[in-house]
Amino acid sequence: MVTEVRTEDAVVRLDGVRKEYGETVALDGVSLEIRAGEAVAVMGPSGCGKSTLLNMIAGLDRPSAGRIVVHGENVGELSEKGLALYRRRRIGMIFQFFNLVDDLSALDNVALAAQLTGTPARQARRRALELFAELGIADRRNAYPAVLSGGERQRVAVARALMNRPALLLADEPTGALDSRAGEQVMDLLIDLNQIGQTLVIVTHDEQLAQRCASRLVLLADGRVTGGHTLEPSA
Amino acid sequence: MRAVWQAARAAVRRRRVQTLVIWLVTLVSTGSTVVALGLVDAASAPFDRAFEKLHGPHVVAAFDSGKVSDARLTRAARRPEVEAVAGPFARATVSVPRTAADFGLGGEITVVGRPGPGGPVDRVDVWAGRWPTRPGEIVLNRQRDWTADDLGKRFQVPSGPRLTIVGFAFDLGHTADAWVAPEQIGALHPAGRQMLFRFRDAATEQDLRAQLAEVTGDLPPGSLAGSQTYLALKHRIGGNARAYAPYLMAFGVLGILVAVLIVANVVGGAVVSGFRHIGILKALGFTPGQVLGVYLTMISVPAVLGCGLGTVAGNLLAEPFLEFVFSGPASGVLHDGLGIPLRVNLVALLGMPLVCVLAALGPSVRARRLPAARAISAGSAPRAGRALGLQRRLAGARLPRSVSLGAGLPFARPARSALTLAAVVLGVTTVTFATGLAATLNSIGNGGDRTYDVTVYAGAYRHGKEVRPVHGDRELQALLGSLPGARHVTARSDDEVLLVGSTNVVMFEGRRGGRSLGGVLVKGRWMSRTGEVVAGSPFLRRNGVRLGDRLRLRKDGREERVTVVGETMDTDDRLVIGGWPTVTALMPDVRPIAYHVKLGEGVEQEAYARAVRAADRGLSVQVSGPNTVTGTIVGSATALTLMLALVAALGVFNTAVLNTHDRRRDLGMLKSIGMTPRQVTVMTVTSMAVLGVLGSLLGVPLGIAAHRVVVPRMAAGLDITLPDSMTAVWHPPLLAVLALAGVAIAVVGALVPARRAARLTVAEVLRNE
Repeated sequence: MVTEVRTEDAVVRLDGVRKEYGETVALDGVSLEIRAGEAVAVMGPSGCGKSTLLNMIAGLDRPSAGRIVVHGENVGELSEKGLALYRRRRIGMIFQFFNLVDDLSALDNVALAAQLTGTPARQARRRALELFAELGIADRRNAYPAVLSGGERQRVAVARALMNRPALLLADEPTGALDSRAGEQVMDLLIDLNQIGQTLVIVTHDEQLAQRCASRLVLLADGRVTGGHTLEPSA
Repeated sequence: MRAVWQAARAAVRRRRVQTLVIWLVTLVSTGSTVVALGLVDAASAPFDRAFEKLHGPHVVAAFDSGKVSDARLTRAARRPEVEAVAGPFARATVSVPRTAADFGLGGEITVVGRPGPGGPVDRVDVWAGRWPTRPGEIVLNRQRDWTADDLGKRFQVPSGPRLTIVGFAFDLGHTADAWVAPEQIGALHPAGRQMLFRFRDAATEQDLRAQLAEVTGDLPPGSLAGSQTYLALKHRIGGNARAYAPYLMAFGVLGILVAVLIVANVVGGAVVSGFRHIGILKALGFTPGQVLGVYLTMISVPAVLGCGLGTVAGNLLAEPFLEFVFSGPASGVLHDGLGIPLRVNLVALLGMPLVCVLAALGPSVRARRLPAARAISAGSAPRAGRALGLQRRLAGARLPRSVSLGAGLPFARPARSALTLAAVVLGVTTVTFATGLAATLNSIGNGGDRTYDVTVYAGAYRHGKEVRPVHGDRELQALLGSLPGARHVTARSDDEVLLVGSTNVVMFEGRRGGRSLGGVLVKGRWMSRTGEVVAGSPFLRRNGVRLGDRLRLRKDGREERVTVVGETMDTDDRLVIGGWPTVTALMPDVRPIAYHVKLGEGVEQEAYARAVRAADRGLSVQVSGPNTVTGTIVGSATALTLMLALVAALGVFNTAVLNTHDRRRDLGMLKSIGMTPRQVTVMTVTSMAVLGVLGSLLGVPLGIAAHRVVVPRMAAGLDITLPDSMTAVWHPPLLAVLALAGVAIAVVGALVPARRAARLTVAEVLRNE
């Protein structure tokens, strides 16, 4: 059963969103609302459109039809520059394969997100160090991605996503490339973030991750929302 | 084999941009290599090549026909050391008074009776009209860059026949000033015979003299009236070619280096960026040899097509270009002696693909040895970062982050960046060198020919008749000065006098009118008193004269002493210039041969010329055009510079394409965290602009050094000394503009890939993971 959400509380609102890649329909009229502070897990089989949905919300791709409104901004109507600024201010994104810049240290990778907004380097690094301390990787701040473990890399990626205090944290298979222990650590991290009010959308195959981290589950198949329900907080 | 071909074909189709870049770069590089090699080849020995092609005579010998018969001369030439012989041809000397109808032949001319332009020695180039075949016809020796508008006019031999000009021809050996049919020469009272020899050993003057002595040893004493070897001619005629050679060599070498560097960079980069693909092929079961085959095929197809087309394009471009460069007077190269030799085409056709294969071979062999898993992970697994310390320092710099990120990028791929940098350095070197060369030549041009606008000659040729001016000398100068637009008029005389104590003839130029006719003073000062003269550097060198030395000049039994007070930048080794009182002291009856008129600002040369013709029908007018040698060098240097800058920019373009391809994931990620398209463009352009700045820092001094090395050699080729003011062209504003050349090359090359990178769809890039 899909949870009823009052429109006025919604941080994200998708209205009949459709996305086509040539003749392939990736999303077919998806409507969805996400409230502030919610942790939503999007699940479904491979190729059902999960990542496409996340990319649409993140402003990494544009819908072929329909509306996506995030914090009152119609994402589909934004210019390229507008989308960049939207991603910078509103969105934090965590990828399955971390996507860190190999040539930058962990600290510089994280500080980079703030520096793009014009924050001076020193201030950006101070904020990054706070995040490193909170995420328990302060001792790895000067290491380069090549020498970090998978879990450490994903924590660095989480720190980067949180750097500009985004309204919405989007995670695409955040534990998909990690071993079980590192995956557990990242899950705990996401739970902690949600508990302090961070709105979260997680795309995953991992039922355990969805059960532990999300308060609501959205099921997707063939580009359509086929169901969903609220989840009980795990012990 | 089929699998290799299929995989290579698929790769070519999938990497359209890369294939296009390889094709384009090999095309432009091969084209420029063909032109560059053609230039080097043509500049290396222009006289020798043309001389060989036309079977020029090693020795032109004149014999006294009163002392030796034609049959005996023919017999004497049958010796083993004689490779080929032409003649004997009857030879007459004719005095032509200096008038408007002398067709530029004024003075004593040599006329030879010759049956045709061909033969085993000295093939004459008949470039207009035809060879004289019967009495009453004459062909004049004139270079191609003259007009043929005198064709059909009549030439009056003083106290002799009237001959119709039926053709214009040119021979490199300058064996005659004019030729007539053998049946005509008798009427010109020939006093001698001419024999043209080619000897087996023609390396030195001594060799030639010794062989000539062998040939003439059995002839009656005194029958050899005189002889001239081609070596003296080669030195005199090759002046322009010697001037061109150093600069063409410089451009040629720069062009070849840039082309090879860019091709190596493009091809090597293409293989490196395909490591992941190589890993996949290996995982599919391709053997290392097959992988090598796929990559060599993938590179070879566009490279061979580019080389083939580039060779054709190079030939098409080179032909008019070489003609443009080498067709100046006395360049020593004839129009049909130009073109790209077969060996240059072979070198380009075989050499450039070889460079491509060699450039591809290194990384291909490396990829061949790489385990499949490592090759596959080349694109996605984190690489140990490079130049990390620099990146860290840049991250803390007070620069926009897109700029500081971009500035660090070239150091992540040092080998690729080094090759690109080398190309930019050579591009900037070329631009700097060409700019300096143009500045020097412009200052030469401004100090020389352009100091007057119109030259007026006394005498005109109208409707086949000579018309003399109605005004006398002084009247004429006053008349020309009074016509609208004239600012000042200088009369010039030009007469041969003898330098006492030497056998050398001096061309003593007199100037009346108080103004300089141009010419650049290298040392000393201009003449200001009677008895003072200036002379060109070649004259001073040839006669061992220094400033302050006194010369004794003689003419018609009269002798005058003059003091050399200045050295001018002049190419004529016979020229001495004096003021009118100095000249008239030696030659009281001297008359000007021309009047040089400087016009006021904005006055049309043609309008003034019309006014002159209207004022006196007996005057002919010549309007000064731009300096052709200067124009040729500046024009060709500009064309070559643009071509090399384009090739260098293509190199940058390729590096930017490869870098953005390699960094697609990073670019996608940066956009995902909020980098705007503009910031992506700035970052990518900055990464190449850094190479541009470094390129300028290295290239500008190299260009200045090349200018310092080449320009004095060009001047030496022309036998002139350049004053410091003409070589000191490196002023701060010019250097500032040149410093931007590298950045401009880099930015132009990087802009398209940068904009393409900015338009990357993030979701697509990151999904490809």
